[in-house]
Amino acid sequence: MQNILEVQHLAKRFGSSEVLNDISFSLAKGEVVSIIGSSGSGKTTLLRCLNFLEQPDAGRILVSGETLFDAEDPSTKLDRSLRHKRLHFGLVFQSFHLFPQYTAKRNITLAMVLHAKERPNYRAEKREILAEIDARAEALLAEVGLSEKAALYPYQLSGGQQQRVAIARALALNPEILCFDEPTSALDPELSAEVLATIRRLADTGRTMILVTHEMSFARQVSSRVLFMADGRIHEQGTPEEIFGAPKSPRLQSFLANA
Amino acid sequence: MATFVTVSLKLLEGFGTTFFIFLITLLLAIPLGLPIALCSMSRFQPLRWLSRGFVWIIRGTPLMLQVIIVFYGPDLIGMPTSLPRMSAVVVAFVINYAAYFSEIYRGGIESIPKGQYEAGQVLGLRKGQIFFRITFLQVIKRIIPPMSNEIITLVKDTSLARIIAVRELIMEASTFIKTQALLWPLFYSGAFYLLFCGLLTILFNRLEKRLDYIKV
Ligand SMILES: Nc1ncnc2c1ncn2[C@@H]1O[C@H](COP(=O)(O)OP(=O)(O)O)[C@@H](O)[C@H]1O
Ligand SMILES: [Mg+2]
Repeated sequence: MQNILEVQHLAKRFGSSEVLNDISFSLAKGEVVSIIGSSGSGKTTLLRCLNFLEQPDAGRILVSGETLFDAEDPSTKLDRSLRHKRLHFGLVFQSFHLFPQYTAKRNITLAMVLHAKERPNYRAEKREILAEIDARAEALLAEVGLSEKAALYPYQLSGGQQQRVAIARALALNPEILCFDEPTSALDPELSAEVLATIRRLADTGRTMILVTHEMSFARQVSSRVLFMADGRIHEQGTPEEIFGAPKSPRLQSFLANA
Repeated sequence: MATFVTVSLKLLEGFGTTFFIFLITLLLAIPLGLPIALCSMSRFQPLRWLSRGFVWIIRGTPLMLQVIIVFYGPDLIGMPTSLPRMSAVVVAFVINYAAYFSEIYRGGIESIPKGQYEAGQVLGLRKGQIFFRITFLQVIKRIIPPMSNEIITLVKDTSLARIIAVRELIMEASTFIKTQALLWPLFYSGAFYLLFCGLLTILFNRLEKRLDYIKV
């Protein structure tokens, strides 16, 4: 079976510090891969590279066999193609970054509407398209359990609710691969639970996801594979049982002991 | 009583000029500030320095001097036509206020968290869409307090126009000292400024309330 995502020898440096070093991994459709590792190990940078918020210095990124990025091939680095490449991925940020001037629902519909406007049939079928988008937003809100909060502004929502809206917003464009960057790190434990429950449901419905997290027990439950990063490298990887049950390297052992 | 009416009418005329300078300056300087702000933030260094140098000069010299330079300057360097008085005032005011506004815009734009742009980027939005659909209103919300300050200052700055004999409110009022030895019209003119600034304050407070739902 073909991998939906293929990351090959990715490297990234900021000035003189090597933040990512020879990162290679792949992701099959429907798989959930968790990335763990101490702070500063490069997890966020990796997700940012996948979402084209940072440009890697070396390596390749392939989605469904198509080369989206190849450090050796300048034609894959053009600014104007970035927008479309980004649509393969979704990203949920640690601190939500909801748009404060829009209601929960509008946060979800905004990108759908703006993309719809570029469709040639938009003018002719505006009503139907907007109704469709509205229905999709309603469905997404229901999916994250926030149907009642559609008309509220971000500041009127709890942190956990904001993050669930952010998840719905990321799902709106139906990305093939959804990335989470420590989605519960900014939340109290009881609010984390509702966000984790949402992510678990997504995993159960077969979404392909990359989850950077500090929630070890959660990672163990939902992941099909776990990557342990240290110093910008994938230090160890395996099934949750291998990584959490029988960690090989001393580095991972001490990381897990302290987590 | 008759003098009071005459004075009132004269002052009203002066206020008309004052208001005209105020309005035209706002209408032109508000949009003009944006390209200056964008240049000041440009990644192209020469443009950035040019723009910041311009702002530095404009903010570092008195508006009164700028009015004089715009009015008398062309003559000095031997250009055949100098501007009419009112145009010179408007040009100087617009340049001056556009520079001030541009700094307010820049501060507002730079205060928007990077995450807002990135949230738009990962949704595949264009730069323009991100600016107008995501950051613009947040910037507006943030710049209303400094803008209202600046705009209220503008109301009073219009009195500088009399340096080149444009008959704005203060100039009309002080004429009565010379012609009829009346000092009170000058004090009376203060009431016009007060009233006008009071109205603007109410307006800006309302606007701030309207945008209360945006918590940035
Ligand atoms: N834009 C940047 N400029 C310079 N250094 C950066 C930048 N972003 C991240 N880094 C550095 O890269 C390293 C990895 O950061 P990050 O990817 O955020 O790690 P993690 O998410 O695992 O905590 C850190 O040492 C961090 O200081
Ligand atoms: Mg991080």
